[in-house]
Amino acid sequence: MIALAHGRISIALHPLREAPGPTLLCLHEVAGSAADFRDVAWPGRVFALDFSGHGRSGHVRGGSYYPETLAGDADAALARIGPAYLVGAGIGAYVALLLAGGRPEQIPGAVLLPGAGLMGGGEVPDWSSEDDAHARWRSFEPVPPGCDPAVRRLERDIRPRDYAREFALAARRLLLGEDGGARPPWWEAVRESPAAARAPAEPARALAFLAASLE
Amino acid sequence: MTSASRTRSMRGAGSVALRRAVRGYVGGAVSEPSHPGAAAPERSRDFVSDGFRLRVHEWGDPAAAPLVLLHGGFDHGRGFDLLAPLLATRFHVVALTSRGHGDSEWDDFYAWPNDVADAVNLMRSLARPVHLVGHSRGGGQATDAAVWAPDCVRRLVNIDGFGPPPEGFVLRGKPDPRSLPARFAAYLDGRRKASERRWRPYASLEDLVERRAAQNPRLSREWLRYFLYFGARETEAGWVWKTDPEFGTGFGPWRPEWVARTWHRLRMPVLAVAGTEPDVWRLAEEIAAERLAAVPTLERAAVAGAGHFVHMERPRETADLLLGFLEP
Repeated sequence: MIALAHGRISIALHPLREAPGPTLLCLHEVAGSAADFRDVAWPGRVFALDFSGHGRSGHVRGGSYYPETLAGDADAALARIGPAYLVGAGIGAYVALLLAGGRPEQIPGAVLLPGAGLMGGGEVPDWSSEDDAHARWRSFEPVPPGCDPAVRRLERDIRPRDYAREFALAARRLLLGEDGGARPPWWEAVRESPAAARAPAEPARALAFLAASLE
Repeated sequence: MTSASRTRSMRGAGSVALRRAVRGYVGGAVSEPSHPGAAAPERSRDFVSDGFRLRVHEWGDPAAAPLVLLHGGFDHGRGFDLLAPLLATRFHVVALTSRGHGDSEWDDFYAWPNDVADAVNLMRSLARPVHLVGHSRGGGQATDAAVWAPDCVRRLVNIDGFGPPPEGFVLRGKPDPRSLPARFAAYLDGRRKASERRWRPYASLEDLVERRAAQNPRLSREWLRYFLYFGARETEAGWVWKTDPEFGTGFGPWRPEWVARTWHRLRMPVLAVAGTEPDVWRLAEEIAAERLAAVPTLERAAVAGAGHFVHMERPRETADLLLGFLEP
């Protein structure tokens, strides 16, 4: 495990495989961890990250978890390992989109897969829930041991379609794991980008699909 | 940032020792300043909110009706030393210093709802409904806290805290021309250096005063010297801000129409206060009016001769307005 610093948070980066070929960085779902990618097959180096609040990474004291701060976690890994393909599930998929748009020179492509935290909290703040907003802000669904319960906030952040679209247009290549299941508005916006293409939603098949296209 | 302050920021911290020597600095502590009309808090204590130790300053009779004050971004609770004593003639005044500011504890990252929750936690700790008053960022958070916990708030006063203009606050008059992903890349570049991020030390309190005076030309240097003394600390390397350098470094989607999205729910009397003078930090009246139109229980008041820092520029007039609006 490699310990990286993102601000005051220690981020755990796990080297999973050493091999010649393109580098892959794996980004897990909400309440997941790097271990989710233990068995990934890929023709090159493989790393998996524990996002802040997850796995062996540190917790954000005040529980301010947002996709953009998680992107900072992953960007600390990119600073260490150099350019990499990304595969992300759930919140990891949304973070992969932000990075693919924000750092196109470092991300030749990203695979976006379903998982916990994919939907987010919609396109506008939920006006109807303000009556219990104080309790809602501070109470969370259960998480696995060692995980910060506040990471559940990553299932409620606002993701406007036009915000996602700008990142999708700036990205080099986005493979969208489609299985006919429900997808949020931000994902629909990504589908419209010339950089986007369909891929299988099952992780091993999606990565095999990407790997085959690189040969 | 003004060109003057940019020039200053290019000077390295290494020159501080030299400049201190040139100025004849002999290592003595700067004594606590005084300012006409300013009164130090009668009591100061820590309040623990969701695990964070926050500084609370109090003026007036603890048995009197409580009035809670929330300050603006990069400010702190001692910024109410002019206003609070004037309100303490009638109220138990309780000023909260938010996370990462003044003498309150730092967080790892900052989020608006955490501050709103801190305000609600403080109000609940006072065991009876309060008058809630906030300035700038604190005004917006006071308004959201009144939406979150209407049972806690008797009357609400928002002093020029009606959110940023649609384009955000633009100090040099030009919106950022970069694309959203390009701005995000710049944010990520900043995150890569965040572990080493520290405020540059200033050689003297006077240098901090000049720095802030460039941003807030309407505030007198005499007041800034008083206010910043409590917002900075002297270290071996020089004077540094107490505000956490991580504060204000966030990134995310934001829409001007989200600012007032819940304000139609307010049922307690609400007073919106603004100055009359041009100020880069003051929200344009037409935008403020549009957002405030959602409030069903609204009163408006203008303080003549004040810019954005209404309660610092015109404390007597501000206090008179509040004493007229807030029931004992």
